[in-house]
Amino acid sequence: MPDKTPTIAAQIADELSSCGVKLVASLPDNWLMDVIETIRGDQRFVHVPVNREESAIGLCSGAYMGAMGSAALMGASGFMTVVYALTKINYTYEIPLFLLATLRGAGGDHHKHHISNGLYLLPVLDAISMPYQIIDDPDDIGLISRCYHHTRTFSRPMVVLFTRDLLRGRHQ
Amino acid sequence: MKYMDCFRAIARHRTNEIVITSAGNSGQAWWSATRDSVASFYLDASMSLSTMFASGLALAQPELKIWAFMGDGAFCMNPGMLMVERELNLPNLTHFLVSNRVYGATSNAALPNLENNDYAAIARGMGLQRIFEFRSVEDLERDFPRLAAANTPGHTFVVLEVEPFDATEQKLEQPPFNGTELKYRFGRHLESVLGCDIFGYRV
Repeated sequence: MPDKTPTIAAQIADELSSCGVKLVASLPDNWLMDVIETIRGDQRFVHVPVNREESAIGLCSGAYMGAMGSAALMGASGFMTVVYALTKINYTYEIPLFLLATLRGAGGDHHKHHISNGLYLLPVLDAISMPYQIIDDPDDIGLISRCYHHTRTFSRPMVVLFTRDLLRGRHQ
Repeated sequence: MKYMDCFRAIARHRTNEIVITSAGNSGQAWWSATRDSVASFYLDASMSLSTMFASGLALAQPELKIWAFMGDGAFCMNPGMLMVERELNLPNLTHFLVSNRVYGATSNAALPNLENNDYAAIARGMGLQRIFEFRSVEDLERDFPRLAAANTPGHTFVVLEVEPFDATEQKLEQPPFNGTELKYRFGRHLESVLGCDIFGYRV
């Protein structure tokens, strides 16, 4: 019997669509490639590959002012480059923004060059008072909608952080 | 051409376009030329992102015609934005690159490689096709109907070669609004024009 369980990427795409996301702007991270490819091939979304993560912040913020739901998808390193754009655009004007990123540098990530993300990603989020939700278990993918809606209530950005175990399967 | 003469000329040609300005002098100049605070969004708090913001809006609302201003100081920080703009190729977006060869908002500090930067060539290199360059108000006035023509395919990129603000112009008033006030003034205008719901989000 073939396994009919939707892939993690498909579940994430379904959850994004269910809360009205149409535009998805992304930069790659190896952990996110299934998600990006799934969204790219899904007619429910307009997928825009961007040149740098800050461009995704600008695009999604403009889409909000045009009443279009959106999400910015990026790796942890990319997120670390967007603090200026987030604080300037989304905090100054109180424009909601929904981000999805990888929790690099945590347990299970064997890449030494992500040590800095492991050390500083969460402290940076705390430093700019930006709420985040870590999703480590497929059963928690439904939290994506909850977090998206929170950005609209809160009128500021929020990020969902995906672990390696969620996106690539449990690893030693 | 003089910066303010250029902006006054563009303002005279405006009909129903939605305008996004950038960090730097373009917000001061547009506010001085128009005093518009409902159909213009002064995205002062961003370097290099005004046209990305405008692209998101243009993508979301194809019936809007959108003009986005950006200084060449901001452009130098993120020229790859043109790759995204070209990929989107939105026919309702015009990107005005205001080239004064300085960081106008920071005492006219010089740009890197200021004498050699050829913005139209950079745009051509990224595959843009509707590209205009203007060095005089007379040329801008003459050709404006062509660049603003309706029903043209693809995104439009316009290089405006202007003189930096002089000492008096540097003191032009900034749009006197805080960020959230601007958001609501602009958003309410869009809601009324489009009949859409931006702020009434309900779960």
